[in-house]
This record gives sequence, structure tokens and C-alpha cells, in this order.
Amino acid sequence: MTTTVESPAKKRRPRDGWRPSLKAYAYLIPTFIILFVFVYFPIIESFRLSLKRVAPFGNQEISVGFENYTRLLSSSDFWDTVKVSVFFMIGTVPIGIGLAVIIAILLSYPLKRLNGLYRTLIFVPVVISSAIGGVLFRLLYNPVVGFFNYWLSLVGIDGPNWLNEQTWAVVAVTITVVWRQLGFNVIIALAGIQNINEQLYEAAKVDGAGVMRRIRSITLPMLSPTLFFLAIVNVIISLQAFGEINILTDGGPGRATTNLVYQVFVDGFVGTKFTGRASAQAFMLAVMIIGISILNFRSLRSRVHYQ
Amino acid sequence: MTMDSFTLDETEEAEVRHISSRSRFADVPVHIALLFIGLAIATPIIIAFFMSFTPLREIVGRANPSVIPDTWTFANYEKAWNATPFGRFVLNSFIQTGVITAAQVFFSILAGYAFAMFEFRGKNALFVLVIGSLIVPFELTFIPNFLLISDLGWANTYAGLTVPFLASAFGVFMMRQFFMSLPRDLYDAAKIDGAGDWKYLWAVMAPLSKGAISAFTIFSFLSAWNQYLWPLIITNDESMRTAQIGIRFFLVNQERATDWGAIMAGAVIVMIPTLIVFIVAQKQLVKGIAASGLKG
Repeated sequence: MTTTVESPAKKRRPRDGWRPSLKAYAYLIPTFIILFVFVYFPIIESFRLSLKRVAPFGNQEISVGFENYTRLLSSSDFWDTVKVSVFFMIGTVPIGIGLAVIIAILLSYPLKRLNGLYRTLIFVPVVISSAIGGVLFRLLYNPVVGFFNYWLSLVGIDGPNWLNEQTWAVVAVTITVVWRQLGFNVIIALAGIQNINEQLYEAAKVDGAGVMRRIRSITLPMLSPTLFFLAIVNVIISLQAFGEINILTDGGPGRATTNLVYQVFVDGFVGTKFTGRASAQAFMLAVMIIGISILNFRSLRSRVHYQ
Repeated sequence: MTMDSFTLDETEEAEVRHISSRSRFADVPVHIALLFIGLAIATPIIIAFFMSFTPLREIVGRANPSVIPDTWTFANYEKAWNATPFGRFVLNSFIQTGVITAAQVFFSILAGYAFAMFEFRGKNALFVLVIGSLIVPFELTFIPNFLLISDLGWANTYAGLTVPFLASAFGVFMMRQFFMSLPRDLYDAAKIDGAGDWKYLWAVMAPLSKGAISAFTIFSFLSAWNQYLWPLIITNDESMRTAQIGIRFFLVNQERATDWGAIMAGAVIVMIPTLIVFIVAQKQLVKGIAASGLKG
């Protein structure tokens, strides 16, 4: 009772011991059981596992200290998967956001009709799962019955064997991830554009600024907090790409599309299980993602200025 | 911080946007651009839909693939439905999704109400724990959770598919924000009338929060239905696969037979529930996403 935390609602703090709190705890208990057992406990457990190696025969765990980490950091296989993750990030984030902003600017144009139709067509990937995204694009990339190479042939281009060539497989996965993320990105960008103060455009128009000028000098600068948010979210999503890879390429050909997440899956769940190594990689990736998320939380404060 | 302050309603909103000057003639290029972009984005889904009705001989027999079938057939759906226990996969998905969604919505309302209306010890610390869990990525939890669920003997069970997801920190946050935006006078009046919290929550708060609750329900439904990694690792018994996992193995089997019509029929079966939700509740879904983006 002595160590009360300052809060705006201080006046209503309980004065008669624990009893009033018990009712609140009753409302909270289901949520917190799940959060503790399946979110907070696993964080510690994940770290503990990353310091272990499971003996090849039997289930005996051996403590190996940071050996899993040091081995990974000095193995070229590990850095290959990091490279693939970075490639996906570089490939998906700028293109995904760039396309989304262009489309959002078009959608914000005051059309009298058909707005609903365009929105429906453009937003729809938002409800498509990574598995279905993978299946749909696996058809499009198919060299025999697929459509991409047929369309390319119409303009005289001999399309690649998308999923069986190392470089093109990376491109193929990137396109699929960008597509599936596009609906979300457009929705966020459009909301950001519609939040921009109308008077800025009016003033610019009075000053004789053309469409392109207004986009460059008003829309994009005013949109920068939204773009920052999109960048963070898209970086995290690109680092976590899994379903599309699992269905399109299974990490191949070779290990061309095996990113960090995929390697964690392979080490932890496919064939011989290397739980310790998988956990160590997962832990490193997670620390990176949490760092990026915290960056986002901190940026929230700066974004308030615009609202 | 309420979701309702963001409107993406096409009619009223569109009227007041002035990025470009307004004239009917100038609209034409925008219409063309948007129609082209819209069709390009929806094309993978449109193709899947048409191909699911295209006979096999048409798919493999033509030099130039055409999107729209010459003759329409239901054979692909019969094949997809009978070749693997697709009915079972869909049933599993409905059970898994139904349990997760119902529990997430119910528990989020309870916890959101507690954080919005009660004063209690450790409130701030507990709320920080809820928010903090939002930034914990699945990479950090799925291996220990897999080991735990396996040790409990819940692999290949509905419990294994659902229990780790019965609560949602995002849902708690969303409900709390919405409940806090409702006038406090109502609560005080209800107290004077002698209504208990439980009764007040379900008789007054919940009906007033229909919009927020349904927005979260949609969110919860979509993310549960579309889950991939967890059901992939926690089930290896065919009869316990969800629809998303079923389509993956169906693809692997049928691709050798180049039976893409059946594969697309399977894909349509798997995505139809989410497409229906999208069509029916597009506005709420979009509003919810826009609000989550603007407010983090």
C-alpha cells in the first residue's frame, strides 16, 4: 500500500487492502495465464535452450555455454542465411512501400464513382494467408501452366525458370511477399494521407503549386511518420517471411532462399533436431526484431506532433 | 485514441480530398491507372478462381494459357474434396479458429474492462506486461512452446492448436482503449443503481462497444484462420491438419500430376471464408488496420 505508482486516477486507488484488487485479478487471470505460460516463460526457456546441446542419442541435454553462438558466428552457413534475410529486406521494403504510396496517392484522388471497387481489388491481399500466397504464386511461376512466362513471352521476353534458379527464386519469393503485404501498406499509407490537413493543399493551390509539386512538398513530408512506421513493420515482416518460402521453394534451390527463420525451422523441426542451435539463431533474430520494435515505440512520441 | 475517429469511407472522404484539381476529364487517367493496378493486384486470386473451374485437359492442353475456361466444370472441387480429407481440414480450421476467436474476444473484453475501469495493485506493471508482449516475436516462443505442448501430450490435438493463442495482448489493448473512451458517468450511474460490474459490462459496455468488438473479432478470426507455422509443426497426423497445412501437402502431391485445377479448387476452399469476411466487413477491417497504423 505504501508504494503506489503515480497515475492520473490516483484518487480512486484502493484504500482497504487487497480486496478490491481481487475482483480485477479475476478479470485478468485468463489473459495472464496465457501470456506467462506461452510468451514470457518461453523467452527465458528459449535462452536456456540456446545454451544447451542435446546428445545425439537419447534426450540428454548438455550445457555448452555460448558455444552455439560462437559456432554460428564463425560459420559461413549462418552468414549465408543472414545474407538471404537482408536480401529479402532490401528487396521487399523499399518496393513495397514505394508502390503502396503511389497507389495510396491515386486512391486519395476524389473520384465520383468506382472508388469502392478499386479499394476492394487493391486491399484484398490483406486477408490472404502466407500459405495461399505461396500456392497462388507457385502457379504463376510454373514454367508449363503458369502465366508469368506466358505474359513475358507476349512482349518477347524468354522468362526464367523462376523457382529453380538461385537468383530468380529470391526474386520470386520477394515478389510474393511484396504482393501479400501490399494491401496492408496501402491502407496505412492512405490513412496517413487522409490525415494530412486539407488547408495545406488549399494554400499550395492558391500559390499555384501543381499536382507533382503538391505531392513532393506536402504529401511526402507530412507522410514521413507514416512511412517510418511502415518501414519498421515491413522490415520486421520481411525478416519473418516463412510461409511463402516453405511453399514456393522450401528454402532452395540449394539454400538460396533459406533465411534465418527458415534455418531455425529446419534446425529445430526437420530431420535431426538441433534444438540448441535453432534456439540460438532464434534468440539472435528475436533480439534484432525487438530492437527494431522498440525503435518504433519510441517514434510514436515524435509522430504525435503531426496529429 | 478510438478507432472511430478514422474514417476511410469512400463517399464522404473522397469528396474533401484535393490533391488534384477537380474536373471530370482529369479523372479518366486516374480511373485507368486504378483499374489497371486493382486488376493486377487481384489477378492471382482471379486466376485461381477461374482455374478451379477449368477442366484438366484445358489447363495442360493449350499452348497459350487463357484465364477464363472454355468449358466450366465442378470436377476439380470434387477431386480436391475427395483426394484428401479436405472436409476434415476445413472442419479442423473452423474448430481451431472458432475456439481461438471466441476465447480471445471474451478474455480481451474481461481484461480490457479491468484495465479501463478498476483500480488495483500492480495495475501499471501488469499493463506494461501486456504491451511488452506485443513486441515478442514468434521466433522467441515457438520452440519452447512446441516442447511444452509436446510434453503435455497435446501435439495433434485441438488443445495443442489453440491453447497458446487463447489470449491476445492486442485485443486487451484495443478493448481497454475503447472502454476508456466511453463516458465514465454511465459507470457511476450504474453503480448508484446498484448494478454490479459483471452486469454493467455485459448489459451496458458490451452493447456500446459493438463496433470495436466486431473489429477485433474480424482481426482475431483472420489471423487464426491464416496461421501457418504453428499448425505446421504441432500436427503431423493428417486428420489434425488445418486447411492451410492441408493445401500445402495437397499441392506437393498434386503438382506431380500437374493437376492445377484441383490445387486451385483447394486454394479457393481455403481462402473463401476470409474473402467472405473481407467482402462483408471490409470497412471495419480497413478501419481497424488504419487505426492500428496511425496509433501504433
